[in-house]
Amino acid sequence: MTAADATLRRGRVGDPFSSPWRRRLPLLPALLFTIAITQLPFLVSIYYSFTNLKDRTQSLLPEPTKFVGIDNYKAIFNDPFFRQAMWTSVKMTVLAVVLSLVFGTLFAILLDRKFFGQGIVRTLLITPFLLMPVVAALIWKQQMFSSLFGILDKVLEFLGLTAVPFISDHPLGSIVTVLVWQWTPFMMLIMLAGLQSQPSDIIEAAGVDGATPFGIFRQLTLPHLRRYLELGALLGSIYIVQAFDAIDQMTGGGPGSTNVPYFVYQESIGGGFRYGSASAYAIVVVIFSIVIATFALRVLSGLLKDEERA
Amino acid sequence: MHEARNGSTPRRVKVLVGVFVAGIVALASLAATAMGGSTAKTISVAIVANPQMQDIASLTPSLFTSKSGIKVKYTILDEGKLREVTTRDVGSGGKAFDVVMIGMYETPQFGTAGLLDDLTAQAKGDKAYNYNDLIPAVRSGLSANGKLYASPFYAESSFVMYRKDVLKSKGLTMPSNPTWSQVATIARKINSPSMAGICLRGKPGWGDLGAAFTTVLNTFGGTWWSSTADGKPAQAQINQPVFKTALDFYAKLVQDAGEKDAANSSFNECLAQYQAGKVAMWYDATVAAGLLEAKDSPVKGKNGYALAPVVKTKASGWLWSWALAIPKSSPDAADAWKYISWATGPSYIKAAGTKTKGGWASIPPGTRLSTYQIPQYKQAAAAFASKTLDAMKAAPINNPGTTKRPGLPGVQYVGIPQFQDVGNRCTQLFSSVIAGSTKDTTALSQCQQIASSAIK
Repeated sequence: MTAADATLRRGRVGDPFSSPWRRRLPLLPALLFTIAITQLPFLVSIYYSFTNLKDRTQSLLPEPTKFVGIDNYKAIFNDPFFRQAMWTSVKMTVLAVVLSLVFGTLFAILLDRKFFGQGIVRTLLITPFLLMPVVAALIWKQQMFSSLFGILDKVLEFLGLTAVPFISDHPLGSIVTVLVWQWTPFMMLIMLAGLQSQPSDIIEAAGVDGATPFGIFRQLTLPHLRRYLELGALLGSIYIVQAFDAIDQMTGGGPGSTNVPYFVYQESIGGGFRYGSASAYAIVVVIFSIVIATFALRVLSGLLKDEERA
Repeated sequence: MHEARNGSTPRRVKVLVGVFVAGIVALASLAATAMGGSTAKTISVAIVANPQMQDIASLTPSLFTSKSGIKVKYTILDEGKLREVTTRDVGSGGKAFDVVMIGMYETPQFGTAGLLDDLTAQAKGDKAYNYNDLIPAVRSGLSANGKLYASPFYAESSFVMYRKDVLKSKGLTMPSNPTWSQVATIARKINSPSMAGICLRGKPGWGDLGAAFTTVLNTFGGTWWSSTADGKPAQAQINQPVFKTALDFYAKLVQDAGEKDAANSSFNECLAQYQAGKVAMWYDATVAAGLLEAKDSPVKGKNGYALAPVVKTKASGWLWSWALAIPKSSPDAADAWKYISWATGPSYIKAAGTKTKGGWASIPPGTRLSTYQIPQYKQAAAAFASKTLDAMKAAPINNPGTTKRPGLPGVQYVGIPQFQDVGNRCTQLFSSVIAGSTKDTTALSQCQQIASSAIK
């Protein structure tokens, strides 16, 4: 049968419908569909980014869409609000990732031992990650941070302290709190996998040699967890940099809480309706993301290679 | 074996596919016939989700469809979604709706852009509708160049609500037409740790903080943009000293004597605080009075009402209306008008008074002079009806400030498309000034930048 196939292939050299192509043919519709719904819009966005396209209601002003060259791109690098949004994005992502990693590791260590009700505790700890982000943001806004109905301020008042308008006074802190609350379980799961893959004989040997529990953690567990920490930080950053729901629900933007995705939203469908310049912002963000993602993926594949060697 | 399978499968598949396609075509044509039978007498209406609109949706079958034979299919959306859907549908000439509910901000803009049917002739010709009964300020807010583009379903102005008992206990009285400095003095005097002096909106958004603050800005003599001779925005005016005076006054008053967590408070939050007895005064929409005087309100009967405070202008109250309009693309404009004439006509208001759960106090207010002559309504809304009507009549819809400005008619907003974005982003900055985390000068210079680049 192999011989017959080979003859068939040799017989139709140069024919685009020869056997390999015939095998791929059923995949082509899916490929074309994917290109049509992902790459064509991207090309159109690139085109838009060189025009001053506005929404119909915006262009009620006598100003037809026209080609403006690289004006939109020049404007980006002079826009203090975009720089502010970038800086907010960096702060928000770094804070949320680092804190959720710290808490995730702590909870993972607690869960990595047998105790009564472990299953229930684990389920409860994972729950925040299963909640829809909008719901999480609303719960925190109304039930925790609100100075009218919020639990936090009720507790502060009960203790005789002055109530704090959390979201008004600390917009970034409030949003980071919600993000950390949501992402800690994710980090915890990764760390738990790391802890459970640690060989127990080494730890026993260290115990026999008289190492303290803290010493064991610092000298053995932490180095073992390093690549899990890196993986958690990487995946966490990829997701948290896109944070939108919490900002939209809790502060509706503003200094200290408008990050890059929210900024582009405001520029386009969020009221700005300047699709031309919003496209330019989006494309700059895509370029940044590709650069960062390339590095990140290299790190990730490096981690996986280490894993294979280990 | 290989060949044999190849030979038979396609034939079987072809037959199956053929049967499948025939079935779908048959079903689709059946469905089309069925739909064709009913579309002649069904209209689609998009409305905003608030209590008065929900009332009318539930009363439509018994009061309208039974008489006219026209079925009404409602799409009920919250304010933001409705604005998105109607802007898209009306703006692109979509045929999804025969009637859309739009605000006073959009109406003149959509109207002059040729996206809405001119209702003037139908409104004047329809006796039952009674065009001259519409409150003049509301009518002119929904018109452009003398043409009425939407019919008001509900309308409101803004005024000051205050606790009579609290003011009395401190020996203070509220003038019926106060100035902002009088209101600020009273607010600071009655402010205490357990009860704030005044609730003012501080939440970002052109319709939240933007609305309340712009009425203050207007009466201080400021404006967002100056105007060219033909009424277009000329230059951003946020860097003018008077804008800073108005912002500082507003922010300082909220910081000294305002509600807690101001940067997060708008209509609903202030309503909750006022009803819980945590604030003694509140400057907001007239429609709030109906809620403060409702049967189950803890502050019922304790409130006084005064016109919107002024500084340099005679009146400063805002004007807002949710109104029904017919998009140019509506497939059934004649039936659409029949519906609008019923829903926004005087007879529906009377029917709503007896047929809705909330009773007379919760009928759609602020649209018609005749509403304020209905004896049952005057009785149910005795505490606030006449002050509401005064506020509606006084609203300076065509001349809200002291200088020439673009985007008229409009009090608490500038009726140009860019205002939505500029208002949203600037009020984010102003809100953080109120919270004390941004300096007023920084916020103003950034806002000036936003407002100038928006009109380029």
